[in-house]
Amino acid sequence: MKKRSMLMLAALMLVLSAFLAACSGGEKAGTKKNDNEGKTGETSEKPQDGGTLVYALDSAPEGKFNYAFYGNQTDQYVIDFFDENLIDYDAQLKAQPHIASWKTTDNKVFDFEIKKGVKWHNGDELSVKDWEFALKVIADKDYEGPRFDNVRNIVGAQDYHDGKAKEISGIKVIDDYHIQITFDKARVNNLDNLWTYPMNRTEFKGMAVKDMMGSEQVRTKPVGLGPFKVTKVVPGESIEMERFDDYFGGKPHIEKVVIKVIDPSLSVGELKNGTLDMTAFHPSIIDQVKALDNVNAITYPGVSYYYVGFRLGTWDGEKNVMNEPKYQDKKLREAMYYAINRDEWVKAFFFGVGKPVNRPIPTNHWIAADNKELDQYKYDPKKAKELLDEAGYKDVDGDGFREDPQGKKFVVNFSHYATQNPTFESRAKALTQYWEAVGLKTKLTMTDVNLYYDMLEKADKSVEVFFGGWSTGSDPDPTPLWGSKALWNYPRWVNADSDKLLDQALDINVVGTDSNKRKDLYVQWQKLFMKDLPVLPIAELEETMAVSKRVNGVKFDVSGMNRPNEWWITQ
Amino acid sequence: MLKYAFRRILGMIPMLLLTSIIVFSLAKLMPGDSLSGEIDPRNTNPQYIAEMREKLGYNDPMPQQYFRWVSNFIEGDFGKSTRFKIEVADVIGERLPNTILLGLTSILITYLLAFMMGSYAGRKPYTLGDNLIGGINYLGLSIPSFVAGVFAIYFFSFKLGWFPSNGSVDIGVTEGTFNWWLSRLHHVLLPAFVLGFLNIASYTQFLRNDIIENSRKDYVRTARAKGTPESKIYNVHILRNSVIPLITYLGFDIVAIISGAIITETIFTYPGLGQLFLQSVGVRDYPVLLTLTMMFSFLTLFGNLIADILYGVVDPRIRLD
Repeated sequence: MKKRSMLMLAALMLVLSAFLAACSGGEKAGTKKNDNEGKTGETSEKPQDGGTLVYALDSAPEGKFNYAFYGNQTDQYVIDFFDENLIDYDAQLKAQPHIASWKTTDNKVFDFEIKKGVKWHNGDELSVKDWEFALKVIADKDYEGPRFDNVRNIVGAQDYHDGKAKEISGIKVIDDYHIQITFDKARVNNLDNLWTYPMNRTEFKGMAVKDMMGSEQVRTKPVGLGPFKVTKVVPGESIEMERFDDYFGGKPHIEKVVIKVIDPSLSVGELKNGTLDMTAFHPSIIDQVKALDNVNAITYPGVSYYYVGFRLGTWDGEKNVMNEPKYQDKKLREAMYYAINRDEWVKAFFFGVGKPVNRPIPTNHWIAADNKELDQYKYDPKKAKELLDEAGYKDVDGDGFREDPQGKKFVVNFSHYATQNPTFESRAKALTQYWEAVGLKTKLTMTDVNLYYDMLEKADKSVEVFFGGWSTGSDPDPTPLWGSKALWNYPRWVNADSDKLLDQALDINVVGTDSNKRKDLYVQWQKLFMKDLPVLPIAELEETMAVSKRVNGVKFDVSGMNRPNEWWITQ
Repeated sequence: MLKYAFRRILGMIPMLLLTSIIVFSLAKLMPGDSLSGEIDPRNTNPQYIAEMREKLGYNDPMPQQYFRWVSNFIEGDFGKSTRFKIEVADVIGERLPNTILLGLTSILITYLLAFMMGSYAGRKPYTLGDNLIGGINYLGLSIPSFVAGVFAIYFFSFKLGWFPSNGSVDIGVTEGTFNWWLSRLHHVLLPAFVLGFLNIASYTQFLRNDIIENSRKDYVRTARAKGTPESKIYNVHILRNSVIPLITYLGFDIVAIISGAIITETIFTYPGLGQLFLQSVGVRDYPVLLTLTMMFSFLTLFGNLIADILYGVVDPRIRLD
């Protein structure tokens, strides 16, 4: 019975998506240029108080409304409205003082000071003890969330985790506003990796750590430091918040925020009707959102990029071993890069919100190397053919496709993940056509997304050339993705120089606290990466957000949006 | 009859056991698990994933995992949702009332409309009214619910603004008040109607054809000959015989109430069991997925039993032994 329903479901979803696309197309056609509402908001400069902001999520939150416990981005959108990070990130993703400021001389011992008079929603004043409390919760052996990595490097955290110590010895509370945190060794990115979200310790008083994730303090009655406080949660459906007058960053203008789950197929209609003010949306509907008169479609730089990878080796359980001969010839990889018309491809499949990228680092990150310093690999099919000829990939049997240097048939086995998104197959197909155009026979396999990453993780033999993507955070260190001991290094690329550069960039003895020196090393690394080409970086994607014209004061940069207390609604 | 019911219930046990094996193996055959999928290299480290897999027992041999699950299940411990990290019973409990409300409303709408249209069409067959009803019914039968859902939202929510397009309740109203119930009703009507659309059509046609067939029977002729008023013939004599097939459908409808409407709930972003089921498949939330499937299987068997028993109740000619 289940199998049948699953099959039916798959079939239905297919038809559904096709239909939805058709229907929303009709909606767009029905959108006439009506009167210019929302114009008034732009002319008046002074923020107005009051109003209700309706914000939509495209899928149901899991309800883990606490930074220490949340698992997916949907929950994070909700938490961002009512809770606060102690430090902030600027438009280059560099850490900036926010509630907490810090001093360090050696990047090993950090002295933090937090602002006085910062209030929790329940009236408590924020103390560094709340932060200590959060760190101890995360280090607890019963803690089931994924954040222990952000605490592990504090002296004594591992012992606390293993039950060998009663306290974390590296955390020293001096008074309510001062705390000293000592790491096990000096690293340049200690601060970037540190967990800087406090938890209200009176709310969780006396609760066992293993019960916290399911408690009402997390799920339905969360308490935060942010500009809005949660007044009501209807699980899986909506969250209501009201203004928090004592917000440390200044009293918010908006009176109420309602966060609702709305199926993405409905968001255009809701935006048009004015029953929805803000939502992130999928780039594929950007034209429909742009056609609405009362809504601004905003794109802002993101931190994700996509690439085509080659499986160069395997994962031996602990480290990568580069032992797969098929794509070891660098000229072959270069030729395949030159063969791709990235401008055309990005335009066709990223709906105008992406652009070609030349490095495994998003352009807006502060360590990103300038394009001038990197090989550009501009679309050049002639050069691709020359490179292939040089490398010995020639058509010897006259079937129109090249054979490998030994004269055997050569087929590029290209894999792409499959979801319900119908554009994936066509964009993958387009890539295969570029390669076939330079004489490389290509076979495309679409694999279910869950299975796909499973196979990549295990370095499955059947995945040879693959499409992938990463979203990076504020920590610039690319080691977890491209280091030779990294599981997520899907091409299984091993390069001693790369490891050395990455280590040096983190070594306090080499770079000290000088971020220019550090950037320099990362630029060198990017050059090396683009010379060696274990993967072909293809494109980076911008984030997309729809904001009603009656909502003002929302600013975007690569670190996200400004705090919602600065937003206001035209009355 | 009691003996019959008892025997049937006993017979369910092996069936459910077999179902559980199939359900479990199919679920585990799905590629990936609840930890694969969205990997965030910033704060997911391979060590954590390996630890969690070990903790959740995903590395144990399949039969061991199966028996652990079944024995817990029988003891009433459905496990913890890997997605919500709370007890499965709580997750289902949060959504069950929504689904029941949706199901009941939809059945109410179905029966009400089917009754009205069916008895009118049956009494005046082959007239303009009957053909009109027939036309609407065939339209209803041929439009799948997801198409109907999208159209209903487009017209009734976006164009006319009569009903909300998503959610189960307005968050602004206080729980338990009259306004709260009104708001829930307001939210449930449109999806309930869409859900019932297909059933209305088939029930109406059933009733109509049965009435026409009955009206040609001897007992009706006898009643007419005795001078019984036409309205009494239809409302009492014929209707009582014609509702028999419909009533037996009630058994199946019980299943429909609980199993929800996967597609309809998803389109209307209505947080019920159908939507939960679909999402659980997507993120491989095995405990929720398995519990729901087992629940639906049980209800299907149970609904069948109810239907069989109802046959016997409404039609004394059918004997159950």
